[in-house]
Amino acid sequence: MKNRIGVYICECGSNISDYVDVEKVREAVKDLEGVALAKITMFACADSTQQEMIRDIREEKLDGLVVASCSPKLHLFTFRNVAERAGINKYNYVQANIREQGSWAHSDKPAEATEKAIRSVKAAIARTRLSEAMTSPVISSENAVLIIGAGIAGMRSALDLANTGTSVYLIDRDHFVGGRTSQWGEIFPTGESGLEVTTDLYRQVMKNENIVLRTGCGVVSKAGSVGNFDIRLKITPRGIKKEAAAADGFAERLEKAVDACPVFVSDDFDFGLTSRKALQPSGGRMPELPAVDRENCTLCGECAKICPGIEINSEEAYEDIKVGSVIVATGFDPYEPSKGEFGYGEIKNVVTLQQFRRLIETGGNRAGSGNGRRETLVYGGNEIRTIAWIFCVGSRQTGVLKGDNKYCSRYCCSSALHTALLARKNFAGIKNIHFTRGVRTYGKMETIYEESSAAGDIFLQSFDDTAPTLSFEGGVTTVKVFDVLTGDREMEVGADLVVLVTGMVPRSNEGLGEIMKIPTGRDGFFNEVHPKLKPVETMMDGIFLAGTAQGPKNITETLNGSHSAAIKAHSLISGGEIELEPTMAKIDRNLCEWCGRCLEACPFDAIDKEEYEGKKIAAVDTSACKGCGMCLPVCQENAIQLTGFSDGEIISMIDALAE
Amino acid sequence: MSQDNEKYDAIVIGGGIAGQESALNLADSDQKVLLVEKDLSFGGKMIHLSKVFPTLDCSACITTPKMSETARHPNITICTYSEFTEIEKLPDGTFTGILTRHPRYVIEKDCTGCQDCEEVCPSVVEDQYQYGMVGRKAAYVPFSIANPRIAAIDIENCILCGACERACPADAIDFTQKTEKTRVNAGSVIVATGFRLFDPAVIRKYGLGKYKNVVTSMQMERQLVPTRPFNNVLRPKDAKVPDNIAYVLCVGSRDLTIGSPVCSQVCCMYSVKQGQLLMGALPMADVTVYYLHVRAFGKGFEEFYQQSRGMGVKYVKGKVGTIEEKENGDLILRYEDIRDGSVKEETHDLVVLSVGMLPNPEAGSLFAGNALELDEFGYVRQVDMLKNPASTSIEGVFVAGTASGPMDIPDSIASSGAAAAEALSYLKRKR
Amino acid sequence: MPRILVFSTEKISDPAIDLAGLLKQHYPPTVYTISVPCSSGIKPAWIIRAFEKGFDGVFIAADGTDCPFSPTCTEKTADIVAKTQVIMEEKGMDRARLRMAAICSVCSEAFVKHVSGFAKYLEGSD
Repeated sequence: MKNRIGVYICECGSNISDYVDVEKVREAVKDLEGVALAKITMFACADSTQQEMIRDIREEKLDGLVVASCSPKLHLFTFRNVAERAGINKYNYVQANIREQGSWAHSDKPAEATEKAIRSVKAAIARTRLSEAMTSPVISSENAVLIIGAGIAGMRSALDLANTGTSVYLIDRDHFVGGRTSQWGEIFPTGESGLEVTTDLYRQVMKNENIVLRTGCGVVSKAGSVGNFDIRLKITPRGIKKEAAAADGFAERLEKAVDACPVFVSDDFDFGLTSRKALQPSGGRMPELPAVDRENCTLCGECAKICPGIEINSEEAYEDIKVGSVIVATGFDPYEPSKGEFGYGEIKNVVTLQQFRRLIETGGNRAGSGNGRRETLVYGGNEIRTIAWIFCVGSRQTGVLKGDNKYCSRYCCSSALHTALLARKNFAGIKNIHFTRGVRTYGKMETIYEESSAAGDIFLQSFDDTAPTLSFEGGVTTVKVFDVLTGDREMEVGADLVVLVTGMVPRSNEGLGEIMKIPTGRDGFFNEVHPKLKPVETMMDGIFLAGTAQGPKNITETLNGSHSAAIKAHSLISGGEIELEPTMAKIDRNLCEWCGRCLEACPFDAIDKEEYEGKKIAAVDTSACKGCGMCLPVCQENAIQLTGFSDGEIISMIDALAE
Repeated sequence: MSQDNEKYDAIVIGGGIAGQESALNLADSDQKVLLVEKDLSFGGKMIHLSKVFPTLDCSACITTPKMSETARHPNITICTYSEFTEIEKLPDGTFTGILTRHPRYVIEKDCTGCQDCEEVCPSVVEDQYQYGMVGRKAAYVPFSIANPRIAAIDIENCILCGACERACPADAIDFTQKTEKTRVNAGSVIVATGFRLFDPAVIRKYGLGKYKNVVTSMQMERQLVPTRPFNNVLRPKDAKVPDNIAYVLCVGSRDLTIGSPVCSQVCCMYSVKQGQLLMGALPMADVTVYYLHVRAFGKGFEEFYQQSRGMGVKYVKGKVGTIEEKENGDLILRYEDIRDGSVKEETHDLVVLSVGMLPNPEAGSLFAGNALELDEFGYVRQVDMLKNPASTSIEGVFVAGTASGPMDIPDSIASSGAAAAEALSYLKRKR
Repeated sequence: MPRILVFSTEKISDPAIDLAGLLKQHYPPTVYTISVPCSSGIKPAWIIRAFEKGFDGVFIAADGTDCPFSPTCTEKTADIVAKTQVIMEEKGMDRARLRMAAICSVCSEAFVKHVSGFAKYLEGSD
């Protein structure tokens, strides 16, 4: 039992002391049994206070430490570390949360907040008295990482890790890499095309011997934990023999085979603007090999007759891999407007930003070239001159905009204005009219907005409480809006084409979140632990986030996140061992009478059976046990204790809180 | 100059959140890092903020543990009050430069931060860490959560009376300290020199400096932190608690007339945040934000902005033309109401100018011959934004945080991850 | 005011309770928290102890479907509640003095509503 505990009560500047009478708290606990000293500090977390604690621990020969301050979510590790540096076991440290669950929660009732703080500190002291020194078990870790998604985010992370000597499995459920970036043409600010960027990254990936790339590949299951994840991959065959593709005349045969394929499906690569066959040529995408779309292929075999090397009957394969860490880089989907949302799917001249991008970047949508004149843009057989852009479709759905997406999609303002400028530059007679809810071209992207205004694009800003409305009569689409910039008058604009500036939603991922057990936020994107403290970490140790799987980002921001995820994964596993939390189940061998209920309750298969003094009892596999405690309440004999959460500790806290 | 060349895997210039994050990432990957900070304490701008958007965590709560972690990391050496300049790239791809340690006239290892020197020092000057709102002594500990939390003598304002020397219980005052220069070599360099705050005194029509109740957003920030100077929000002229506060956005941003065309990316959100904090601190006060566009673009930002509207912060789409002072210290804002195109006037008792970010010119002069290229705005040029965003015009030199452009804290942290990851790749490639 | 002991979980409901404080969403100050790794690891004996020591109510802020350990968490926690309520009835206690609800890591409002409503109920049943 700990008998020389140091108690530090933090004012947190005034965050705590404005509501909780810290002096009263100190008075109430300073003479408790086991307390050697009790102090008030302005900032417990400040380095100088940490130094003071270390000095106190050494000079006063303290054996336990209690800090009453903010939530342990913020500073548990800070003070455990203090304990450790001072030479006492870090598990003899207990934090009392008197800010988030004290002064802040009860700022309306300071006297009661003080009373609660006193009991909370007493409970922390009671727990510290019974706390046991524990050492963190060290496990070996696999110096390999699985990266899910081979878009720009996944490839960036893969290259970083591979360059530093870590093995990488880079997978994508699609047969082509490059993700959303490969679908984008000219990009601000460098003018490179998305496909150029992703092709460059792909070539680096292929040159790197530390990276194994699997396309048509998804995750089926995950077992194990940080350092040693056992992952089962499912690989859908591409349906093409690589060697056959290298043979002379393959390209011609393939073309004929594609012609012969009877299946037409909407082409996702063009965001549904065009259709394609079930047999897909790479079309400039990487790897430069065709692929059979197994979901839509009717197995008619016409293509294989024409083009040897196509194997439509090959089986799905499974591969089991072991990795130390996982990076989730599954990206985003463009928001798909519902039918009738700003005329989408009902009025024929309404397209999304993504579709418009493909429209201006694929050939065949032009007319009237020659004589040095620029071509005009054609859509649906009509020449396009006036384009109405409606911003925030699928984003910021508050007030008049109905929907669940409350968030701003971040990239769309800049992207739409940049795209509108490209249309203006590449086609004759384009007039852009922007219906915005406030242009958010943040940072240096402000220059796009300036350029756009200077070029003559017209900006109309709708009120937050009136959305633009669309109507279609006599071949003309009319957009109506109350415009704040012209003094709240109703404006009508006839447009040849309406572009809905659609934002980002999380990419559909076939239950990957469930398999990985990583939570999503209110916006549906995967959630980091904390935007500043653990910005790429998830609740699951060893699983990181990269790119837009986490929330809307532009390409540079995506790369920053990918680099960050890579270096975090690297520093976690590349050393070959990881320190674990020592919280785990412990069997009282004398009490245990083996009934098997704990084995049933354990989600990690961490219970074994063993012989002990002539009887069968349960034994805990310490590398598999995650310390959840699910085995505790099912044990009839109360033979299981969780380290750090023993009956003694919990009951002493209950008693202190109830006192 | 000392002839012993110190050697590191990487030198990180700038000890703000970006520099710390870069250093920690590299140090956790077993690289030896030298972190150079020109100020007396590292921690950068973030350490001086109140709470941070959109989570409203207190800034100190997030920065101080990171600072402690940085300070005690076995792979990180920190030099405060120091500069690293005249950097050159050597033929083998490594770097060399001069580390200049300025004298603080206090023996670092002996000072306990007791502040006895501060008490006896007779010389009082404006406290730069409280943005001039209060005074400090010439012998001083920079601020309460400084790291290292030790004293320094501001020699320019010191009258050399010797009182501090006599008062110091640790005999840590040493007026004989001199500037020390050392040559240091490193495998790579990370530039994390941060940003400069725009000084709105140059926009004379806003009257900063002339009208006392016109303050900058950083001064307001300091009034809202737990370690705030007055323990309340007060307007400077008569120490009255304000009840009708105006925010003027885009001061020093998106303004070609002052040569600052870019959007500073953080002012909207910190103003939204300060509005929320003010509604909490002064429940009876009105807060009005004059804006052009509210750029609430990041994760959780739009929700945070909507929350502030819900709390009653008023948003007026309008461009503020001039500010004039009334006799009682109140201020008349003339603004163009964009809603109806008319010019209107409104009286407020405190006006906060939401100042923007400017590039820190120091980044350009770190390298011999100004070899590090800057972009058209004066920020460190990113040469490969679509594949390697931390790469600069010199291979092996990487940029982190706001040295490359305006950014909020999460973006700075992410870009620091990028700088560290690219530096690590570079170091492994060269070995 | 009735005293309530909350068993919360380190990764899921703790952050929500913290968030309630951060957003100054007030709830009765007689609500105390003990956090455990997972709501499926709470022993009935602990709950009974709390009642015996004078708590008026016990609220389990469960992981629910957000449980990082197992998708079976909701059922398992419900089992614990059912088992404990049997013991409570044997001891002549009102079974409604034990409640559970899944509180996700951002469900601060739900938490406040639950404990405030619970406190009202307990006050009425005194």
